[in-house]
Amino acid sequence: MAGDPPIATPADRHYERTRHVWAHRNADSGRVRIGIDALALESLGELAYVALRATGSSVARGESVGTLEAAKMTSDIATPIAGKIVARNDVVLGDPLAVNREPYGGGWLLELEPSAWEDDAAELVTGSDVAEWAAGEAARIAAEGRLD
Amino acid sequence: MWRLLQDDGASAAGGLAGDEMLATRVGALASPPVLRLYTYRPHAALVGRFQDVRQEVCVDWCIENDIDIGRRPTGGGAIIMGPDQLGVALALPRRSEGFDGGARARMARFSDGIVRGLSALGVAAEFQGKNDLGVRGRKIAGLGLHRAPSGSLLFHASILVDLDVALMSRVLRLPLPAETDADRDAIALRTTTVRTEAGSRVPMDAVRHEIACGFAVAFGVDLESSECDSEERDLAALLEQEKYRRDAWVWQRTAVPDATGAARTKTGGGDLEVRVRLAGGMIKAVAIEGDFFATDAAVTAVESGLRWHPTKTDAIRHTVRSLWTESRDATVLADELATAVLRAIANAHHAVDPYGCFVTPETARG
Repeated sequence: MAGDPPIATPADRHYERTRHVWAHRNADSGRVRIGIDALALESLGELAYVALRATGSSVARGESVGTLEAAKMTSDIATPIAGKIVARNDVVLGDPLAVNREPYGGGWLLELEPSAWEDDAAELVTGSDVAEWAAGEAARIAAEGRLD
Repeated sequence: MWRLLQDDGASAAGGLAGDEMLATRVGALASPPVLRLYTYRPHAALVGRFQDVRQEVCVDWCIENDIDIGRRPTGGGAIIMGPDQLGVALALPRRSEGFDGGARARMARFSDGIVRGLSALGVAAEFQGKNDLGVRGRKIAGLGLHRAPSGSLLFHASILVDLDVALMSRVLRLPLPAETDADRDAIALRTTTVRTEAGSRVPMDAVRHEIACGFAVAFGVDLESSECDSEERDLAALLEQEKYRRDAWVWQRTAVPDATGAARTKTGGGDLEVRVRLAGGMIKAVAIEGDFFATDAAVTAVESGLRWHPTKTDAIRHTVRSLWTESRDATVLADELATAVLRAIANAHHAVDPYGCFVTPETARG
């Protein structure tokens, strides 16, 4: 809406273009955290429940790694990168609203040991491209009211 | 052209597996959109995607009485299904013309077919709250939506063609007590049925026909009667065995804590009692009772509007004020009602035993 502040999409991470899941690589460990971006949460509203895959499983890019429920709509969470799940944020399982409160911080979902980071990252939006992509998505969501 | 599937006597696992199979096929573009109108065999208790069966269903009674228990892929609360409740499953590609909007807008759009169908039967239903269809505030259908990983949307609805309230109160753990006839009358006030509203024993097939016509008109599509092919039957059977019949699916638990609480208060307009059921920071159900005066529609509008609503104080006050304003003759003020809801929530968070803490808060009348 005109006059509203832009929805936060920090440029320090990578974003899946349509599913609105972010990926952030720790330069030291090489591990990648994923979470839901604020654009998606703007559309979904408050989360009532989150379920996440257990650690230890290997997943392909685009595969479902969890499910969420908001306003009686349930939706699968598709991972933007391939890899092995090495950590799960159990805080958001008991307090899904933590995702709404801190989508890029305490509301992260899973941590993966990536199996093809360079290839997967090349498919995602990052850096100086984020602002333009986010503005376009915000406009689309405002017009259509939905995510893909 | 959409496919129209019609069947009866589904088991809990078989019915839900069939719906997911259809969503999978539509998402993979192996099938055009599908509208399935079906009933379950007597009877099935179906919980929402994330609900804890033991919190929502009287499990021991269900086992003793051969009541099937299943878990839907769609969200929302527990329901009872049988020969007198029409199940609606609509599977569409995720990007479909005319289905823009957030979850609520799309749910309203999808339910338009049901509204038109019911209208043809003389039942004036309308979208209420986040995800119900109601008649004068009384629920006649529950709605749910699932974005499947296959790239499709699965819209679910359960239409109360008829309802045995006594049976429902034995099968489901309801937010209101259900021990006496008066209790069950209070529960019945929150719901209505096609047969009650139509004033006659409308046959299930007549309802099914009108709902199908309603969808055809609402979406400007032709419906072609269809059956599942062998590949679809095999996929449904696989989903039934590998997912919907498995204990790991049906009996899964959520880490979100459930809580119940109540608050009773005296207002200048009469006694007011509010009961709430919470799932973490969200309200799952609210029941409002008392000897104050208000229309049933006003009470159920607030109950419906607060379902799956965050427990934030400002948001609750805003919602109650916006919904209660229509009840100008009510003897309880909106702020008194909101305060009682908030007290019930506070008690739920602190309750040691359910409904154990009652308070008389200050009221807006001072």
